[in-house]
Amino acid sequence: MQTDTKILAHEFEYLTPNTLNEALDMLDRYQDKNAKILAGGTDLLVKMKTINLKPDYIINIKNIQEINFITYNDDGLKIGAVTSLSQVEKSKEVKAKYSALYEAIKSMAAIAVRNMGTIAGNLCNASPAADTAPPLIAYGAEVKLANKRGERAVPVEEFLTGPGKTVISSNELLTQLNIPVLDENTGSSFLKIGRVKADIAKINIAVYLERKNNVCKSCKIVFGSVAKTPIRVKGAEDILRGQQLTSDVLTKVAEKASEEIKPITDIRSTAEYRHEIAKVMVEKAVNLAWERAGD
Amino acid sequence: MENKQFIAISKRFDIKNVGKVTGKEIYASDVNIPGMMHAVVLRSPYPHAEIKSIDLTEAEKTGAICISRDDVPDLIYNERIVSIPDKTYKDRTVLPKDKVRHTGEAVAAVAADTEETAFKALEKIKVEYKKLPAVFDIDEAMKPDTSQLYSYVYLGDKKIDIENNIACVRNISVSDIDKGFEEADVIVEETFNVQRIYHMQLETKSTVCVPEADGGITIWTTTQGIHNVRILLGEIFNIPLHKINVKRITLGGSFGSSIQMNSITPICVALALKAKSPVKLVMPREDDIYDHASYPLRTKIKIGAKKDGTLTAGHCKVWVEIGAHNIQAYPYLGCIAGWFASLYKWINIKYEGKAVYTNKTPTCARRGYGSPQINFPVENAMDILAEKLGMDPIELRLKNYVGKGDEFWGQGPTIKSIIRSCGVEEMLVEGSKLIGWDKRIPPSEKTGDIRRGIGVARGFHTSGTGGPNPGEVIDYSGATVKINEDGSVDVVTALMDHGGGTWDVAAKVAAEVLKVPFDKVGIYNGVDTRTTVFDVNTHATRGVYCGCGAVKLAAEKVKKILLNYAATLFKDLPENLELVCNEELGQAVVYPKGLPEKYKTVGEIAKTAQIKSWGTIAYTSSLRQKNCPPCFITYFTEVEVNTKTGQIKIPRVIMMGDSGTIMNPELWKGQIIGAFSQGIGLGYIEEIPYDTNTGKLKCNGFITDFKVLTTTEMPKIDDIKVLPAHTYEPTGPFGAKGIGEAALSAVASSFGNAVYNAVGIRFYDLPITPEKMLKALKEKEEKKDKKE
Ligand SMILES: Cc1cc2nc3c(=O)[nH]c(=O)nc-3n(C[C@H](O)[C@H](O)[C@H](O)COP(=O)(O)OP(=O)(O)OC[C@H]3O[C@@H](n4cnc5c(N)ncnc54)[C@H](O)[C@@H]3O)c2cc1C
Repeated sequence: MQTDTKILAHEFEYLTPNTLNEALDMLDRYQDKNAKILAGGTDLLVKMKTINLKPDYIINIKNIQEINFITYNDDGLKIGAVTSLSQVEKSKEVKAKYSALYEAIKSMAAIAVRNMGTIAGNLCNASPAADTAPPLIAYGAEVKLANKRGERAVPVEEFLTGPGKTVISSNELLTQLNIPVLDENTGSSFLKIGRVKADIAKINIAVYLERKNNVCKSCKIVFGSVAKTPIRVKGAEDILRGQQLTSDVLTKVAEKASEEIKPITDIRSTAEYRHEIAKVMVEKAVNLAWERAGD
Repeated sequence: MENKQFIAISKRFDIKNVGKVTGKEIYASDVNIPGMMHAVVLRSPYPHAEIKSIDLTEAEKTGAICISRDDVPDLIYNERIVSIPDKTYKDRTVLPKDKVRHTGEAVAAVAADTEETAFKALEKIKVEYKKLPAVFDIDEAMKPDTSQLYSYVYLGDKKIDIENNIACVRNISVSDIDKGFEEADVIVEETFNVQRIYHMQLETKSTVCVPEADGGITIWTTTQGIHNVRILLGEIFNIPLHKINVKRITLGGSFGSSIQMNSITPICVALALKAKSPVKLVMPREDDIYDHASYPLRTKIKIGAKKDGTLTAGHCKVWVEIGAHNIQAYPYLGCIAGWFASLYKWINIKYEGKAVYTNKTPTCARRGYGSPQINFPVENAMDILAEKLGMDPIELRLKNYVGKGDEFWGQGPTIKSIIRSCGVEEMLVEGSKLIGWDKRIPPSEKTGDIRRGIGVARGFHTSGTGGPNPGEVIDYSGATVKINEDGSVDVVTALMDHGGGTWDVAAKVAAEVLKVPFDKVGIYNGVDTRTTVFDVNTHATRGVYCGCGAVKLAAEKVKKILLNYAATLFKDLPENLELVCNEELGQAVVYPKGLPEKYKTVGEIAKTAQIKSWGTIAYTSSLRQKNCPPCFITYFTEVEVNTKTGQIKIPRVIMMGDSGTIMNPELWKGQIIGAFSQGIGLGYIEEIPYDTNTGKLKCNGFITDFKVLTTTEMPKIDDIKVLPAHTYEPTGPFGAKGIGEAALSAVASSFGNAVYNAVGIRFYDLPITPEKMLKALKEKEEKKDKKE
C-alpha cells in the first residue's frame, strides 16, 4: 500500500453545515454515499492519510455553534459534540469535580491536538485505547444521538462495540454528552501508561467510587487498551464493593482485574505486561479515588 | 595547555542561527523554482521480489512524467564515496533493474504539476512482481540454502561473488590472543545486541533539481557534503562536473543519514532530465523511514585480565545486519575494530567482523558510526569484569584506558595517530565526585519498589579521519577567506553544519585569526560546488577539527597578504606590524609595533587595496589534517527503576566532555544533552521491528509507532550537569577537537550499567523496555524463590 502523508490526494465533496438541522439533512441525504463527519479531524485525517480511508463526502461540523458548549448545573455536565478537548480541560467544574475526565484529557496527545480534537470524535473513532472512554463509562455518562427524525440517548458503555465500531448509524450525529452530577463522597481517578509521555495508552484505567463510613459503597473500574473495547472489570468491582480499603482487599481486586482483562500483544506492548501492570494500576487508581472521595 | 585570550572563541554568540529561530531559514524542501514539478516515488510492497514488468502507460496518460528502470543509467554505484574507490562496495542502481530487495525500495517515480496529481498518476502504475523468499535475520541469511539478495557486487571495479549473503568481512589481529587469555586470571565472555533504529532526523530527505539549458543540472539537496553529490551525479549521468552545481543549503538534521548521496537525489535528477523541467522531491516521513536505518550490531565479546586488573586480551566477534544495500559496511567494520581497540589497552586483540545482507531497509551511519554499538558491550563487560575482580569500575577503567601518548586507531586500522590531549582521568575522577560515587551501594543492598542506581561509561570519537598517512578514507577540507572592501570577512566553504554550530566555529576561527569582531564575519549559503573547493563531508566529527582547520589555514594566509598591504601603507615591514581587534571601533586594526595610536583599520587597508587596484585580500586553502584526535566523553547516569511497572526514569546525570578548547560553549552543551536524550532512547525504547510475514515495518513507516524520547523524559535541567575537561589539542584549530558523535557513544552503556546497579540485572539486548524489565524482575524473583 502506498501512502503520502504530506498530502491528501484523494478528492471529496467538502460540506460545511452551519446548523444542526442542516447537518442532519446532509447526513440523511448522504447516509449511503460514503460520507464522513469531520470534527477536529485528528483521527479522521490521519486515517485518510495512512490507511487509505477515502470518503466521498466530508461533513465538517465544527461550525455548528449549537453543539459547541460546555455547561454544568443540577442536571450534570453537558458537553457539545464540537467542543474541543482543550475547552473541556479548561472548565473549572471538570477540573474540580470530574478528576478522571480531566486527567484523561490532560494525558492526551499535546496541546495542538487537544485544541482540535473532541470527546465526541474520541468516542466515535472507537479506539480501544481512547482515553476519554474509561472515565465516561465510570461516571455512567451517555451520548445523545440525533438524526433527522429524532434522537436517542445511549450509555457510553453500550455505545462502543468493538475496535472502530459503535452503535451509531450512518444518518446519526452524536450531538452531546451528558455526565451525571456526582454524588457526595465520591472520587475518581484516571491513570495511563504509554511508551512516552505523549502517546496512545499501552493501558489506561478510570475508577469512580463512593466512600461511606470508610466502606466502598459503589464503584466502577474501567480499563482501556486491554480488550476490544474499554471494559469494566465487574468481578473486581464486586470484590471492592461493601469493603473497607485494606491492602488485602486491594490485592484481591487487583488479581481479579488482571484476570478479567483480555489484552493482546501489539506494537505498543505485550499481553503479559498489560496483565502485570493492570494490577499496579488498579491499586494506584483505587487508592487515589478513595482519597479523593474523602469521608 | 595554551593560555590564550580569545576574542570570539569560547564566547557565547549565536547570531548565525537567527534564521532558524525566526523561521526564515531555507531548507531544500523550501526551494521553489518557477515551473517546478512535484515528484513522488512508487515503492515496493514486498521485501524481496523479481520485477516482471512495469507498465507506465496509464500513469503517463494523465500527462505525468514517469520513470522506471529503463529510464535510469545502468551504472552500479555506492552512494557513499567517502572511502577510496578500491575499498568501495557497489551494489545498486538509481532504480532496481531486476528485483526489489526491501519493502519500500523505490521502483518508479512520477512528476506532475502538483504532488497530488503526481500521486494519482502513481496509483495508475502497474508493477508485476514475482515474490521471492525473504530473509530478515542474520543467522538465517548466512545459511547456504537461504534466498540470496545478490549473486555478485563490485568492489571498486572488480566484480566479486557474494555467498551466503555475506556482504563483507573484516578480520584484524594484534599480538597473540591465545597468549593473552592464557595470562588472564579472570575472563568475561558475553553476547550483546544493539538494535537497528531510525535516525529520526527532523528534515526528511529532499531534492530540487533544475535541468539547465546547456545540459547541466543545478541541485539543492539534503546532504552532509555537496561535492560528493556532484561527483556521483557526474558519474551516474555522465555529465562533466563543471556542468553540475550542487548548492549548499542548511541541513534540517541528519545524524549521519546524509553522508551518502540520498537515494532520491538521482531519481529526482532522472525525472528532471526527462521532464526538461525543474522537479522537487520531498520524502514523506514514511518513505524516509523505509529509506534508511542505523547499523545494528551483535557482539560476542571476550575479555581477560590479571588479578590486579591489568587487561591481557580482548576478542570481539561482531555481526552487522545491513539490510538490502551495502552503504559501506566495510569501513563500518573497520571503525568498530578501531573503537574497540582504542577504548582500552587489551594488548592482545582479535577482531572478526561480518556484514550480512537481509531484506530490510538499508542501514547506514548514525551518530557514532558504530561506536555506541560496540561501546555498550565493552562498557558492560568492563563492569562485569570489575565485579568479578572485586574492583571499583572506575579504578579498572583508569588502569587500562588508552590515553595520552598511546596509539589511537581513529577510524579503523588504516587511520592511526598518537593521542596528544586526553581528559579521561580528569573526567572519571571529577565526575565520580560530583555524582557521589563513593556512596554508591551494590544492588543487593537495595530494597523497595523504586530503586535507584548509578552507572558510569566512557567513550570517544575521532575528530575527523585524518592521519599521518593516507588511509582508506578520503579526508581533506578547503575554504576561501576573503577580506571585503570594508574590512568585513567572508568565509566560503563547502563544509556543512548539522545544526551543531560548525559554521559558527568557522566564523569564529576566521575572526580569531584576523582579529575581526565575530559579527563582521559572514558565512552564508549561496555558495555551491562551483564556488567552493572540495570538502569531503561533515561526518566523523570532523567539522571543527578538519573543516575549521582549513578555515584557519586560509585565514592565516589572508593575514599575511593583509600585513603585506599594510606594510606598504606604513612604509614598514610586515613583521614590524601588529594586528589587533579594536572593540571600540568594532574593527580589526593594524599599527606599527609600539605605536598603537598610529593604527589603520583593516577596512581602510582593504579599501586602499581596492582603490589602488592591488587586488583582493583572499586565499583559498585545501588541508588534510595529519591526526584524528579522540574527543572523549564520560557519563555518570543515575536511573530510577520502578520495579512494579518496569519504567525507568533518569533523576540525575553528570556529563563530562573532552573537546580541547570549547569553541561554542552553549552549543557544545547542547550537543551533549541532545546526545544524552538520543542515547537513552537507544537504551530504553527505540526500535523498529519488522513483521516478518509481510516484510513491512510494524510501525508501517509512521512515527506514531516509532517513539523517541522528548524533553519530558529528560532529567530536570538542574539535575543535568555538563562539564568540560581542561585540555588543549596541540594539532587542532586553537586547541579544539570535536564532540558531536563522541557525545552519543557511552550514553546507553552508562544507562545499562546504572540499571544493573539499581536492580542487579544485566541486560544484554537493547532496548531495556519496561516490558523486558518487568519480565526480568519476575524471573529473578522466581529464581530466588527456587533457591530459598
Ligand atoms: C498526535 C496525536 C496524538 C493523539 N493522542 C491521543 C491520546 O493520547 N489519546 C487518545 O485517546 N487519542 C489520541 N489521539 C486521537 C485523537 O486526537 C482523539 O481520538 C480525538 O479525540 C479525536 O477527536 P476529533 O474531533 O479530532 O475526531 P475526528 O478525527 O474529527 O473524528 C473521529 C471519528 O469520529 C467521527 N465523528 C466525529 N465527531 C462525530 C460526531 N459528532 N458524530 C458522529 N461521528 C463523529 C468521525 O467521522 C471520525 O470517524 C491522538 C491523535 C493525534 C493525531
